[in-house]
Amino acid sequence: MGKYALHRLLMALPVLLGTTFLIYLAVYALPGDPIQALAGPNRALSPSVEQALRERFHLDDPLLVQYGSYLKGLLSGDLGMSFAGRPVSEVIAASWPVTFQLGVTAWLFMTVLGVLLGTVAGLRRGRLADALVLGGTTVVMGVPFFVVAYVAQIVLGVNLGWLPVSGTDAGWPLAYVMPGLVLALYGLPQVARLTRTSVLDNLNADHVDTATAKGLRPRAVVVRHVLRNSLIPVVSLLGVSLGYLLSGTVLIEGIFNLPGLGYQIFTAIPQHDGPVVVGVGTLLVLVFLLVNLLVDLLYGILDPRIRLG
Amino acid sequence: MSVKKVLGAAALAVALTACSSGGSGGAGTPQGEKSFSVGVTTYFLSHLTPGRSVASNVDYALFTPLTTVDATSGKAVNAVAESIETDDNVTWTVKIKPGWTFHNGEQVTAQSFADSWNATAYAPNAFENNFMFAPFKGYAELNPADGKPSEKTLSGVEVVDPATLKITLTKPLSLLPYVLAQTAFAPMPKAAFADLPGFDRKPIGNGPYQLDGEGLAAGVTKVALRKFGGYQGQAGDADRIEVKSYQDEAASYRDLQAGALDVSLVTGNNLTDAAARFKDRLVRVPFPAVIYLGFPLWDKRFSDVKVRQAFAHAIDRETIVKSLLRGFGQPATGLAGASVPGGGAADCAACSYDPAKAKALLAEAGGWSGPLKLWTYQDPVNTVVLEAVGNQLRANLGIETVTTQTQPVDQLYPNLAAKKIDGPVLLYMGAGYPHLYALADQLFTKTSASNVTGYDSPEFAKLMADAAKAGQEEAMGLTQRAAKLAMDGLPLTPLFQPVGGLAYSTRVSGVKPEFLGAAVLSAVKVG
Repeated sequence: MGKYALHRLLMALPVLLGTTFLIYLAVYALPGDPIQALAGPNRALSPSVEQALRERFHLDDPLLVQYGSYLKGLLSGDLGMSFAGRPVSEVIAASWPVTFQLGVTAWLFMTVLGVLLGTVAGLRRGRLADALVLGGTTVVMGVPFFVVAYVAQIVLGVNLGWLPVSGTDAGWPLAYVMPGLVLALYGLPQVARLTRTSVLDNLNADHVDTATAKGLRPRAVVVRHVLRNSLIPVVSLLGVSLGYLLSGTVLIEGIFNLPGLGYQIFTAIPQHDGPVVVGVGTLLVLVFLLVNLLVDLLYGILDPRIRLG
Repeated sequence: MSVKKVLGAAALAVALTACSSGGSGGAGTPQGEKSFSVGVTTYFLSHLTPGRSVASNVDYALFTPLTTVDATSGKAVNAVAESIETDDNVTWTVKIKPGWTFHNGEQVTAQSFADSWNATAYAPNAFENNFMFAPFKGYAELNPADGKPSEKTLSGVEVVDPATLKITLTKPLSLLPYVLAQTAFAPMPKAAFADLPGFDRKPIGNGPYQLDGEGLAAGVTKVALRKFGGYQGQAGDADRIEVKSYQDEAASYRDLQAGALDVSLVTGNNLTDAAARFKDRLVRVPFPAVIYLGFPLWDKRFSDVKVRQAFAHAIDRETIVKSLLRGFGQPATGLAGASVPGGGAADCAACSYDPAKAKALLAEAGGWSGPLKLWTYQDPVNTVVLEAVGNQLRANLGIETVTTQTQPVDQLYPNLAAKKIDGPVLLYMGAGYPHLYALADQLFTKTSASNVTGYDSPEFAKLMADAAKAGQEEAMGLTQRAAKLAMDGLPLTPLFQPVGGLAYSTRVSGVKPEFLGAAVLSAVKVG
């Protein structure tokens, strides 16, 4: 298993390198002028300052030269400077705790609610609960998340006053409940539906019939024999879903004014702030790769039949 | 390892996070301390160094420049300056009041101003407000077209003694006291120059409030201001102000509605809601700006002034303001609204709604053939207003195909500069400093970067130059004549002067707008 993990970690290196290049390319290709974006509306920079800024951020160099100097800095541990003049490493250090708390909250909501809803639907196949879960998840998949986010802010925050509308003032968990719930919707339908299908498959399995025939209580049958086996495909989905969650933080942290990693990307893109977008974006990819590795390792623990290597 | 254990480990991890984050939530406020919170857009908190900041209400809380523009009279009055004198509007002698100190105790002297101005005017520092120093003598040496500047200080700024500053300009500018009222011209202490990036994060100013805590550290969305005990001007009421930054005014307004904020600017579609919800706790804020439709003068179809007049007469400004903006706007009868000193005159003859005259003028000019494209930048209000303008031009001038196109600001302006825009463009222009001269200069002077229409009139330039040479009273009249002249030439037609709102909670009072529209922080009363 150790060899397998090492192999996967080595594979992650070219993926990361490719990622930095692709993100760099995307920022470079953004239409518009970064200098105009930097000046903001209603302010025209003097030509001398514009020139100084272009030199400072290497904006006049061709793409490959720009990327090369970025990569050189990266290899020596320097993530570069944001356009606002802050080291990107400082930006990341200040913002990762917010994203971590939001990610964990959303991931918990997604896992707990998804598995619960899926199990209920699977056990009550064809009944009202099943129909509600199937119908509900279809609606959730169809509605854009920013709409859900704004509606939640206005209904839960402004009209009912149950939860803070935005910001992290209330601390964990209160400030993260609403954004976490909305963010969980990115993966919730898939988790619920996969759990349902998986539970249905296992309900008809021979070992479940055996357990029932042995006279085990229905609850024990469901928890020990149906659920445990049903969760194996779900666990792999939970890993992949983290990708959705991380990309979702860009929009959700922007809307809920949470100063996390996604928020930094949200504000950096209109500014054409390449160093921030590439640095933070690559970090998110790295987290995604590591979590998926962990999930794959977890496979072997959940199901002894699976051998890694 | 069973499923139970895995879940147990996950629960433990969450519990640990909960513990570690417990300290960050809810900063405690000591009993009896007067404090309130205000929402601003992230743009306001991008930089806090005088030479880089955007002259927001936060900047005015931290810094006090030589002068300030009186909100009621519209005149530039002295703040840190004891007197500002000149004989020829080129050489100025500024005396500085004694006793002013920075938040760290350092005396505010003539040198503090000179240091700050030299830093901003020096091109390699790349301070965003560098362009404002172009009228000063020696600016060219600090900003050469190529290579490193040969000088490090402005030759036009001379420290005679600690209380006296001598300013020399390249040409007369009688409105210098208005120019000096911006935070870009605020002083900087010696301590700033040891660590300029650090100063940008946590500046040491001379204003009524000082930054508390870490200041503008990487990734923060709020800063705290604390009352400065040694302030020599009108002291603020609150002991502590929490400034929270938001993506836009809509986000801060939602927080105000939910009770998490005390003061917020309200714009766009939220104004109607705020008027109903906050009633007398909504202050109308006339922005010192104009929303206009600019004509591409390089386009042959718009070279005849009659065509431009026809367009101007075909737009029903009253209806646009009433139905689309719900009354939050001032239908334009002239270039500047009454909130801009020198503005408020009905100097735009073609701004009256007269579809019959519009049609006749267009026919006289030879009619219109082919499609018409209207442009603007991405903004929810602009987009609907432009649609309405398009419909009115279609209906009133009989132009069959009218389309609209929006672009982000950072694409539209470069395209305008390159004359790649093939139709009238709806734009916003705010006065750089509180005077009609600023607005007229930005929009109509040939060399101005924001003169997007390509208007070029020697007669206009002459009047503006005369205004710059004259005394304050006379300058006002000459500027108004220049504005009238430009409006007769009609390179652009004003549509309306935008109006916003300042809404506030029941906890505070005394909310009033400063020049750019945000609340004057030191004037807000708590309780």
